[in-house]
Amino acid sequence: MIEVKNVKKKYGRKQVLKGVSFTAEKGEITCLIGINGVGKTTIMKAIMALTPIDSGEILIDGEKIRKESFEKITFIPDAITMLPQMKIVDAFTFMADFYKSWNPERAKELLQFFKLDASERISDLSKGNTAKVNLLLGLALDVDYLLMDEPFSGIDIFTREQIADVFTSHLIEDRGVVITTHEINDIEHLIDRAVLIDNGEVLKEFSVEEVRENEGKSVVDVMREVYQG
Amino acid sequence: MKSYLKLVNFEVNRFFKMYLILIGITILSQIIGSFAVSKRYMNEANRMIYENLMPKSQFIEQFGGLSFSKIVFSGWFMLPIVLCSATLMIYVFFIWYRDWFGKNTFIYRLLMLPVERINIYFAKLTAIMFFVLGFIALQILLIPIEMHILKSIVPADFRTDLPFHEIFNLSLMVWLYPNTIIEFILIYGIGLIFVSVVFTAILLERSYRLKGVFLASVYGILSFIVFFAPASLDIFFARGYFYPIEIFVMELVTGVIVLVSAIWIANHLLKYKIKV
Repeated sequence: MIEVKNVKKKYGRKQVLKGVSFTAEKGEITCLIGINGVGKTTIMKAIMALTPIDSGEILIDGEKIRKESFEKITFIPDAITMLPQMKIVDAFTFMADFYKSWNPERAKELLQFFKLDASERISDLSKGNTAKVNLLLGLALDVDYLLMDEPFSGIDIFTREQIADVFTSHLIEDRGVVITTHEINDIEHLIDRAVLIDNGEVLKEFSVEEVRENEGKSVVDVMREVYQG
Repeated sequence: MKSYLKLVNFEVNRFFKMYLILIGITILSQIIGSFAVSKRYMNEANRMIYENLMPKSQFIEQFGGLSFSKIVFSGWFMLPIVLCSATLMIYVFFIWYRDWFGKNTFIYRLLMLPVERINIYFAKLTAIMFFVLGFIALQILLIPIEMHILKSIVPADFRTDLPFHEIFNLSLMVWLYPNTIIEFILIYGIGLIFVSVVFTAILLERSYRLKGVFLASVYGILSFIVFFAPASLDIFFARGYFYPIEIFVMELVTGVIVLVSAIWIANHLLKYKIKV
């Protein structure tokens, strides 16, 4: 379980996170929802120790993040994290060199799934294919938790569909996924939990299924209630 | 250790094409320079002796014999060294900033590797030292070839031969190619400390951004003061009070202090303060 407890963070004078708390379970897809600039990416970075927090605590399966944690959790930011001059196959070699959790079979499977050519240079890929490679590099790690920052942003409809298919496939099964988006329509039907964030605060955290079954509301309905009163 | 070596290999490979180009330029320029300087000298000798009918002894007396130092102090020889040094100096900064500001933010990947983050620092430091020592090794290999070129073009009567080790005593060369192990430790130790301090200053800037620029400047000045404290003490306050060996030992101690603190601060920043 990923536990984010009362996390506060300032950028200069601006309080970006004002005591954010939520949990994300293994085997569930948790979505952090909010407009741009509310602190979603900062939360992701803080979980991965890519930005320091001012106070609060972040635990992954009860432990603070350390080097071994990166075999258990990975972050897929909205830009690819490999060098542009690398070929996809070089990126695979790099990952295999450093991560015990790298699964070459899954990487091959994902290559076929996304219809990518391993000999292509990353700098030559289209935006959509770059997003696919980025996702692939995270998904091919046998990790328990995946953090994805705006995986659907700025890509075409077909690529979106292809990426959305990943969430319902065995590639995600049993893993805990935390995803950020400001375009909920793409993934509303896929998520288990939603965390509504605004102005650095968690406004509401809920089980999508419970709300749907008990109150007959969609995520967008809850968002309207919370954000628009 | 294994992951550190993998990172070193990776860092070396990232600069290797550029490094090979610099090596190529150095070899080409210095070899052409050896030919050019020797030929020019012999052309001048032939013109004076055969056209102006100046006796050979008078020419040598007037113009002097051609020594290897003329090649060393020519632009052909020095410019590639300056180019390599300047490129490496810029690369000391670029080796970090390229990971933040490149088209793809590779720093995410580096910081998410399941290795101690300080290994990234050590790998970059090792890569820089590898490049520096590689250039020196290349130069040591090139000098006998260049001497051979000089000897094959300029007859012995027209040469002032320097023994191989004497070449390294030429004023500009002495700090590039130290003669003794102590000098080597001093010169390249200072280089290592300098690069470490710059790396830590970069990490301060990357951790605290605008405030970090100020912190990095203060840190750099403090490191400079601490490192040169024994030498300054000797020069400005107590001239001749300490034996040279005492100054050397004190420099060694302050050097270790500055190096260890640079690594300690870098480790702390990479673990707890770094921002992407």
